[in-house]
Amino acid sequence: MKRFRSAALVATLLVLAACGSSAQSNVTRDPDPERRGPQGRLAQFVVQCDLSHVAFDDPLVLPWQPGKSHLHLFFGNNSVDSNPGYGDRLLNANTSCEQRRDTASYWAPALLDPTGRAIEPTSMTAYYRPGQGVDHEEIVAYPEGLMLIGGDSASQQSQSTNIVAWSCGTGAVREDAPLQCGASSTLRMIVTFPDCWDGERLTGFGSSAHARYSSVEANGCPDSHPVVLPQLTIGIDYPPVDPTDLSLSSGGVETAHADFWNVWDQTKLEGEVANCLNRNLVCGVSS
Amino acid sequence: MKRKLAVALTAVLTLAACGSSASNDAAPATEAAVATDAPAATDAPAATDAPAATDAPVETDPPTGADGVLRVPGDFGAIQEAVDAAAPGDLVLVSPGTYNEAVNVVTDEITIRGTDRAGVVLDGEFELDNGIRVLGAKGVVVENLTTQNYTSNGVFFTSAIGYRASYITAIRNGDYGIYAFDSINGQIDNSYASGSPDAGFYIGQCFPCDSIIDNVISEHNGLGYSGTNAGGNLVIINSTFRYNRAGIVPNSGSYELCYPERDTTIVSNIVHSNNQADTPAIDVAILAMGNGILAPGGIDNTITKNLVFDHDKTGIGLVPFLEEGANDDLPTPDEWDVGCAEQREEPPADEFPDTLLWEAQNNRVTLNDVSDSRVADIAVEGVGMATEELGNCWGGNIFGTSAPQDLENLAPCEGEGSGDWTLGVLNVLTWLADVETAPPSVDYREAVIPDPPELPNMPDAETAPVDPAINIIVDVDLDAMVVPDKPA
Repeated sequence: MKRFRSAALVATLLVLAACGSSAQSNVTRDPDPERRGPQGRLAQFVVQCDLSHVAFDDPLVLPWQPGKSHLHLFFGNNSVDSNPGYGDRLLNANTSCEQRRDTASYWAPALLDPTGRAIEPTSMTAYYRPGQGVDHEEIVAYPEGLMLIGGDSASQQSQSTNIVAWSCGTGAVREDAPLQCGASSTLRMIVTFPDCWDGERLTGFGSSAHARYSSVEANGCPDSHPVVLPQLTIGIDYPPVDPTDLSLSSGGVETAHADFWNVWDQTKLEGEVANCLNRNLVCGVSS
Repeated sequence: MKRKLAVALTAVLTLAACGSSASNDAAPATEAAVATDAPAATDAPAATDAPAATDAPVETDPPTGADGVLRVPGDFGAIQEAVDAAAPGDLVLVSPGTYNEAVNVVTDEITIRGTDRAGVVLDGEFELDNGIRVLGAKGVVVENLTTQNYTSNGVFFTSAIGYRASYITAIRNGDYGIYAFDSINGQIDNSYASGSPDAGFYIGQCFPCDSIIDNVISEHNGLGYSGTNAGGNLVIINSTFRYNRAGIVPNSGSYELCYPERDTTIVSNIVHSNNQADTPAIDVAILAMGNGILAPGGIDNTITKNLVFDHDKTGIGLVPFLEEGANDDLPTPDEWDVGCAEQREEPPADEFPDTLLWEAQNNRVTLNDVSDSRVADIAVEGVGMATEELGNCWGGNIFGTSAPQDLENLAPCEGEGSGDWTLGVLNVLTWLADVETAPPSVDYREAVIPDPPELPNMPDAETAPVDPAINIIVDVDLDAMVVPDKPA
């Protein structure tokens, strides 16, 4: 099964390359072996969060349209709904994260079993790291209120496993669809967010026009998006269910994506960026 | 340890598939994360300017007082303010009081000292992450104070070359009591940790560590000690590990760097009654519950002259560690002595199995006094490898039961072994099933743990000169050590 999926992905990519997909210009990114290996090699700070709430809301893609979104799992900030207004309503909210100063919001479509029922996640882990080719001393905290999307909710074919992928727990294997994991592991959906910002727009209202991925080729961030941010990767863990015929509330598993809204305690966030990423240190592991 | 496992018996059945290999098939990234069909951005709120890079705390004031002593709250209102003002060699001297702070230390060779161990309390109130976090600074000393109720760790050293934690009391912290990660040349002594779901004391991701844990008490934690991928002149000595789920549990795993765990010396400790069912506990602590000294996947360890008693499973057990979701291939024996710094530079293997089975190999278990273990006082088992091929040895232990039977004659440290390895085997895989019925973790914020015993202050805290941790030498004469007396 695994080999089949991989072969299919390679074939898809070859076709895409042959067709010269215009979407390619959005992202330049290398395979990323450092993130596939053990933790402890690359600087990071880590936050673990329980599920906060579920809602048919999306303050980023469908602001002020309560109940109009596909079902989302919200982690972190307890008060996020479809209202995209940044302010005390959110900054003073509670959080489902162990790091209590992380009042940011992370949301993703629900994973559905073959009958369409949502599978309850066990937890979500957020890893904040330097991106590709960036100078770790240049990383700055997300500006207050910044919204980011990782992955493509409208995708009709497998996405790059560098952006959305499935793994068993923190294991290094990355698949483009859910896989069977051992009983002592978890089925994990992984989404990596862009880490280069245009310095102007806090949201793309559903697009990622204001953000790009760093790359080794570009020596970090492209000139169009020169502000170097932490690269956020989240892993949403599920029990190791049978991977057959799973889907997402946004569509097939190829529509995997996630959203991030910086509602961190900004002082704490800036401190973690300075202490951990700018100093190139491992400030915690989660495995 | 820091590893989430929800082990079920089915894991045992999947062990047969351990040999299967899966490629780390990283497809080249050519696809884009494209925009969804969202409303066009018409009036996206514009940010002002990119925020300036926030620097690490810098020294803002010269040290107060010509003697290099920065007093809290006398000279500074907060410990962090004094730490930020301190220069290498300075002493931040903290008077009794409760400090709701998470202190970051980036300056080399400073000392943070309480004047009264029980009276100087850093309290995270279950809101702050680490009591004192030392971030790559060298030679920092933390001594004679209490850290409690932090969501992560009481005291945390990361990437520190030279560190010391002395006369520390760490209670009810959400991960570890005292946690040294990717740090070398360290010393943790005369300290106490209780009520953490992971380990009371931890030294991990270092080889050679050149570090020592001396005269500590660890109780009512998930694990008394954990040391993932640590070793190399790493000594745990003269300490007490009791009333944890499991006592001393160093392990190997590819989920962090510097595997395998090897060459830890565990000598002259009192390890007893690690069957405690009402503690907070990570999953591995539940799996390891009822064992005194357990080395899951540990290699080349020396376990000698310990007093070990009253355990539901084994007193001293050498068992495999099953790692599902591997990050690299198993190191071969010729790679066991590769230093951490060298391993860090090497990328993971291109192909490796989904699941790794780390066997406990080449350990020496000698001259311990082990009693009152419900499964076996001393025990060993291989799962992927035959138990007799693991290269572990035993000699001179006082013990009643072993698994397999007659272990000291099967694999003596001196001379040739003989006997039947199939008699009275451990059956470690049944432990995976035991997890199903084991008492679950108790939230660390709510677990009922006893008050610590009377714990001594460091001598002359008000006046003792500073002693930065720049010259920690670990040099223990094992021949001079003895099995401790049984506590009253």
